[in-house]
Amino acid sequence: MGRKVVIEPITRLEGHGKIDIFLNDEGGVDRAYLQVPELRGFETFAQGRPAEDMPQITSRICGVCPTAHHVAATKALDDLYQVDPPSPAKKIRELVYNTFVLEDHALHLYFLGGPDFIVGPQAPKEQRNILGVLGKVGTDVGRKVILARKSCRDLITRIAGKVIHPVFGLPGGVAKSLTLEDRQKAVKVADGAVEFALFSLRVFEDLVLSNAKYMEWITSDTYTHKTHYMGLVDENNRLNFYEGRLRVVKPDGAELVKFPVQEYLNHIAEHVEPWSYVKFCFLKDKGWSGFKEGADSGIYCVGPLARLNVSDRMATPEAQKAFEKFCETFGGKPVHHTLATHWARVIEMIYAAERMKELANDPEIGDAHVRTLPTKTPSEGFGLVEAPRGTLVHHYKTDARGIVTMANLVVATQNNSGRISMSVDKAAKGLIRNNEVNDGLLNMVEMAFRAYDPCHGCATHALPGQMPLILRIYNSNHQLQREIRRNGS
Amino acid sequence: MVRKRTLVLGLGNEINSDDGVGVIAVQMLETQLPEEADFLTTSEHGVSILELFLGYERVLLVDAIQSGRNRPGTVVELNPDDFGPVLAPSPHFSGLPEMITIGRELDLEFPKEIKILAIEVEDPYSIGEELSESVKAGLPELVSRARSELLKWRTGESR
Repeated sequence: MGRKVVIEPITRLEGHGKIDIFLNDEGGVDRAYLQVPELRGFETFAQGRPAEDMPQITSRICGVCPTAHHVAATKALDDLYQVDPPSPAKKIRELVYNTFVLEDHALHLYFLGGPDFIVGPQAPKEQRNILGVLGKVGTDVGRKVILARKSCRDLITRIAGKVIHPVFGLPGGVAKSLTLEDRQKAVKVADGAVEFALFSLRVFEDLVLSNAKYMEWITSDTYTHKTHYMGLVDENNRLNFYEGRLRVVKPDGAELVKFPVQEYLNHIAEHVEPWSYVKFCFLKDKGWSGFKEGADSGIYCVGPLARLNVSDRMATPEAQKAFEKFCETFGGKPVHHTLATHWARVIEMIYAAERMKELANDPEIGDAHVRTLPTKTPSEGFGLVEAPRGTLVHHYKTDARGIVTMANLVVATQNNSGRISMSVDKAAKGLIRNNEVNDGLLNMVEMAFRAYDPCHGCATHALPGQMPLILRIYNSNHQLQREIRRNGS
Repeated sequence: MVRKRTLVLGLGNEINSDDGVGVIAVQMLETQLPEEADFLTTSEHGVSILELFLGYERVLLVDAIQSGRNRPGTVVELNPDDFGPVLAPSPHFSGLPEMITIGRELDLEFPKEIKILAIEVEDPYSIGEELSESVKAGLPELVSRARSELLKWRTGESR
């Protein structure tokens, strides 16, 4: 008789974000599923509103990455009104955006993913939390992290109006130009950011890369999938968070296709499964053939690991050095190890910081010409950024007055949903045997999806080891047989 | 702008129906006592908002909860120490105990006092800007309780 194990977060997302594990008669795993919440009702909510409101509205969708939605929406408005912002405006946006990526990545690296790879997956659960991280890296480092994030967020507030829900993006540009003082501040914050990012790389190298056991984990089959990868690159196939074309590479690293966001729907489609309300994105060129790896499957991955896999090189010097070491360590690209995402995140922090520095020191960024007024009649627009967790697409249609008639967002977690599901399934199968479902094993199953840092779930974004989980075991008649609450209470 | 010693922080999301009630309450309170504190609202949560607390002596959090223990619209005061890391009644608190621990461990300028006022809500999930009737009815009490807390702090100071 098969059993069903449910790992369920007890938050407002109850019943939405959870893992279902179906055990078989032998006490192993038959199949494991991850379910993440959807944005219910958003499309209806957006309909009938002026398109100009979208950067503000969409930045409220998610408490995790408001700036990503704000900038993606602003770019969709550029496209909608067919207006090209002046270069200084683009640079201001990109500066804010890279600052955001850096502070968000830092949060994940130290506080959310850190307990897994700084403290270690097998450490006792009492230590697998932020205090464990602080114990390992020292309180001085902890202070450094908090203060580095604070300086980044203060800079965003200064330039973009409000860190929590930025208000600076307008179709055709930004709301205000930078003062001399703003630029001086930006230069200072950028210098600190570069120093902080390089410091983070050293922390990562000291604590993770020099740990043979951990490297064994990273490269283990349990956390490895040979899939396609997608991410934004510039005209020289270098990583870019703000602008460029989407590049898809095959599991062997060769380019499959490269296209502008306006062609998104020609290349990406969504598959629906009866057991989930999540739409699983797949590559149209390959078609949907189930949760399978390999060159014939349409499953692809976005996010830090994917972005490095689609990039030929990094656009900034220190990031390039770190990138070379990354590729060399794993014997070349693409790197298929999900847990290597944490390392990729550090490399992206370096790129973001160096890019901040370039932009802050660019004389043009101080130019007062920051807006091209839209004059054309709107009908349809696409906007795209690389959110910290991966490709984020906003797509709107409006009537001639600019009133929204259709709004569709494809967020990173949707792009990744197929691969995340495979990761959870593979980790559960690789780790759970003989009906043994203990805390340590559950954490290691969680690690499989925490590396992606799924954007939607408050729960999935909670601190590792602190994540409120309920484990429920059902018999094949779906009768509750046993209930285990993780972390007491 | 001179920074005040007290921060009133509204947690929630105005486009998630009842989830926005804390934000609305804080906006209302700000119009009543603009000089009494700094007023901020956010839909972020947990450790990601730690730096908002830095430099303040006291923080009053205003939030929506869904504990199922009270009738919707009921206002309750919560103690940050009451939250285990598990079963936090609101996701906004999912990182609060950790955040307080980090703030104190790291010897940052973290507030000595944190109070939480929360209102039991019906529907914090659906996208929409309307509050449920029950929550709408409880809103004046939430604002007035928050107001008294602020005034209590003021009295405490003058003593």
